[in-house]
Amino acid sequence: MTAEIGQAAIYLSVLSGLWAIGFLCVGLRTRNPNAVRSGRNAVIATFILISIATGALIYGFVTDDFSMRYVVEVSSAAQPLLYKVTALWGRMSGSLLFWLWLLTVAGAIVVWQNQRYNKQTGDTLADYALIPLAIVQLFFIILVTGLIEGVYNPLARFPNGQVAPDGAGMNPLLQTPSMAFHPPTLYIGWISLTVPFAFAVGALASGRVGSDWILRSRRWTLFSWIVLTVGITLGGNWAYRELGWGGYWAWDPVENASFMPWLLGTAYLHSVMIQEKRSMLKLWNILLITLAFQFTLLGTFITRSGIISSVHAFAQSDIGGYFLGFILISTAGVVGLIIYRWKRLKSANRLESLLSRESAFVLNNWLFVGLTLIILWGTLWPIISEAINGQKASVPEAFFNQVVIIPGLLLLFLTGAGPIISWKKITTNNFRRMFMWPLVIGLVSGALTWGFLAVIKGNTSPIYSVLCVSAAVFVLVAIFAEFYRGARLRAKRQETSFLNGLNLLIQRNKRRYGGYIIHIGIVILYIGIMGSKGYFLLESDSLALGESMKVGAFELTMKDSFEREYANYRRAGVIFDVAKNGKRIGTMEPARHFYYKAGQGEQDTIESAIRHFGVNDLYIALGELPRNIKGGDIVNVQVYHNPLISVVWIGVAIMVIGGIIAIAEKSQYSKET
Amino acid sequence: MQKQRRLKIIAASLVLLSGMVFLGYVMLKKTSVRHFTPALLVADKGKVDDQLVQVDGLISEGSSKWDAANFKLTFAVRDRDSAATVNVIYKDRLKPDNFVDGGSVFVEGRYDASENLIVATKLMTKCASKYEGAESAIPTDETSYISQ
Repeated sequence: MTAEIGQAAIYLSVLSGLWAIGFLCVGLRTRNPNAVRSGRNAVIATFILISIATGALIYGFVTDDFSMRYVVEVSSAAQPLLYKVTALWGRMSGSLLFWLWLLTVAGAIVVWQNQRYNKQTGDTLADYALIPLAIVQLFFIILVTGLIEGVYNPLARFPNGQVAPDGAGMNPLLQTPSMAFHPPTLYIGWISLTVPFAFAVGALASGRVGSDWILRSRRWTLFSWIVLTVGITLGGNWAYRELGWGGYWAWDPVENASFMPWLLGTAYLHSVMIQEKRSMLKLWNILLITLAFQFTLLGTFITRSGIISSVHAFAQSDIGGYFLGFILISTAGVVGLIIYRWKRLKSANRLESLLSRESAFVLNNWLFVGLTLIILWGTLWPIISEAINGQKASVPEAFFNQVVIIPGLLLLFLTGAGPIISWKKITTNNFRRMFMWPLVIGLVSGALTWGFLAVIKGNTSPIYSVLCVSAAVFVLVAIFAEFYRGARLRAKRQETSFLNGLNLLIQRNKRRYGGYIIHIGIVILYIGIMGSKGYFLLESDSLALGESMKVGAFELTMKDSFEREYANYRRAGVIFDVAKNGKRIGTMEPARHFYYKAGQGEQDTIESAIRHFGVNDLYIALGELPRNIKGGDIVNVQVYHNPLISVVWIGVAIMVIGGIIAIAEKSQYSKET
Repeated sequence: MQKQRRLKIIAASLVLLSGMVFLGYVMLKKTSVRHFTPALLVADKGKVDDQLVQVDGLISEGSSKWDAANFKLTFAVRDRDSAATVNVIYKDRLKPDNFVDGGSVFVEGRYDASENLIVATKLMTKCASKYEGAESAIPTDETSYISQ
C-alpha cells in the first residue's frame, strides 16, 4: 500500500509543480499577491508530496518489500539498516528521486527564508527565483514518474504481483560509511548550486540585475561550495582507503564531473565580489552561475549516458539524452532572458589597470573557467575524437596532471596576490608594503627547496616543486601578514591583547577573513598534492611467509596469516612486521574481505592496511589470496609510501573551517533599482 | 589613454586564452591514446605496432593466468562481436576487483603487433555483472515496467 501512496504522491507532484510555475508566473506578472502566495504554497506542496514518496521508498527498504523492483535491485534482507536506507541513492531511479527530494527541500527553504522579508518589504525577487527552481523540479518529477522511456518509477512493483525471495544487495565496495555519505554530499552540493542559479534567472526575469540576487543567494553558494569540497574529498578518501591503488584522484570522468562544478562555483564566489564592490561583471556572473548549474546536470549526462567509460560503471540508459535536452533548453532560456535584459547588464565601471585587484579577480576567473574547459575537453575527448577523426581516443591521467600544473600554479600565486593587491591600480607603495617580503621569503624558500631536492636528493627536475613551494610560502607570508597587521591594529585601537584583536578582526569581517583561511587551506592542500602525487613510492613483490621487502626506509616482513569470520563477510589476510631504518615499529594487517551472497558465491574486496607516520602513509594492499599461505604459498603485495598525504586532508579541513566562518556572516541586502 | 588600456587588457586576455588553448592542444597531442576493439586492432596491426592503445572488450573465458611468483597476469581480450582476440600482460600490479571470465575489461598499454600482445599499464574492470544485472532477479519483460 505504501508504494502505491508514494506513486500517487509523485503523480500529484506533477500537478503541484505545474501549479507553482503557473501561479507564480501569472501572479508576478499581474501583481496579484494571492496568486503568488498560492504558487509558493504549491512549492511547499511539492516538497510534502515528494517527501511522502521518498518516505514510502525508505519504508519499502526497511520492511524488505521485495515486491518492489528498486528494493530488489539495491537492498537485501541481510543488509545492515544503515545501508538499507542509503540504498535509496544506490542506483539510478532512486538517486533521481533523492535528488528531486533535495530540490524540493531547497524550494521549501527558499519559501520559508523569504517569507518574513517578503511580508516586510513586499520584495518578490525570491518568488521570481522559485519559478526556475520549480521548473528544474518538474524535470526531475517527470523523470521519476516512470512515464517516459528509460527510467522506471522507483516505487514501482513487479508486474503480476511477483515477489522476489531476496534482493540483490548493494555492492560490498559501497558498504562503508564514507561511501554511504559521499554521494548524498555531492548531491546536496549540486542542488544548493541550483538556488543561486534560480536567483540569477529570477533577477533576469524581474529585471533586477544588480547585486541583490547575489547577496540573497550568497549563503547558498557558499554552502554548496563547502559541501562540494567535503563531498569530493570524501570520494577521494574512500577511493584511497578502499580501492587498493594507493591514490585518491585519478581524473576519472565521474570525478571530473564533480570537480568541474566546484571549479566554476569557486570562480563565481570570487567574481561576485567585484560586482558587489565595483558594479562590474554583471553579465559574467549570470553566465558563470548558469554554467556551474549546467555542469551539475552535465555530470549526470556524462556518467549516465554511457558515452564515456569510467570506473564508476553506472547502469547506462537513455536518461543522458533527457539531461542533454534539458541542459540545451534551459540554457537557451537563460540566453533569451539575457538578450531581453541586455541594456541593464552593462557594467558601471571598467578595468583601470592590468595590475589591480579587479584584474586579479578576472585572471582568477579566466583560469578557473579555462581549467574547467580543458578538463571538459579531456573528459569528452572520446566523443570529440570520434567525431573529428572517426576513431575513438581518450586521454590518460597524465594529460590532466600536466595541463593543470601551470594554471594551478598561477592560481596558487593569485591566492596570495589577490588579497594584498590594491583595488583599481597597484601603487609602488602598495607593492613595497605588501609584496616585497612575501616575495623575497617565497623566493628564498624556493631556492632552499631546489637545493634540498636537486643537490641532496638528486632529483633532476624539481622545477614544479620549487615553484609550488615558492608560491605557497609567498601566499602564507602574505596572508599571515594580513592577519597580523589587522589584528595588531584592532588590538591597538581597542587596547586589548593581540589574540583578542585577532578574534575581533575575524568576527567583524567573517567573509573576508574566512576567505583568507580558505586560502591557507588551499596552500596546504597544494603542498599535500605535490608530495603525494609527485613523490610517492610503489613497490610490488611476491612474498612467502618469513620473506621481506623494502620500500624507501621501511622494511616489511610477512610473519603470519590470519582468517576471521564476521556477520556478513570473512576477513583473511597477512601480518607484516614493519621496521623503519632497521628499527621495529609495529605490525600491519592488510586483508581481503569475502562477502557471501546466496547462489552467487563470494565477492572479495581489497582491504588495505594504512599506517600514518606523521603526515606520511605506509599503505599495503594484497592481491588475490592463495589457498595455503601457512604452507608456503606466495602472496602478492603492493606497498606504497605516500608522503604528505595527510596534509591533503588537513588542507581540506582548513578550507572547510574557513568556509564555515565565511558563511556565518549575514548578507546585507542593498536597496537598489 | 582609455583606448590604450583597453587594448592592453584585450591583448592580455588573448595571450592567456591562447596559452590555455595551446597547453590543452599540445598535451592532448602528446598523450591522446587511440581506442580499439580487439577486431579493429588486429585488422590495423601494421599501423599501430609499438604504439599506446586502449582496447575495450571481454575477458576471454579460460584465458587468464595469474603467475603469483612473478606477479604477472596474462589473459586475452575477446571482441564483443567477433572471434578476434588480443593477448595482454599486466605485471607488478594487483589484479583488479571484479576480474572474472567474460567480464568487461578496458586495457591501456603498448601494442606489440608481431606478438599480438599488449603490455598493459592500466587495467579497468566494470562492476561485476551480478550487481548490474540484478534486474533479472525475477524474469520479467524489461519494457513492461516502463509504462507502469
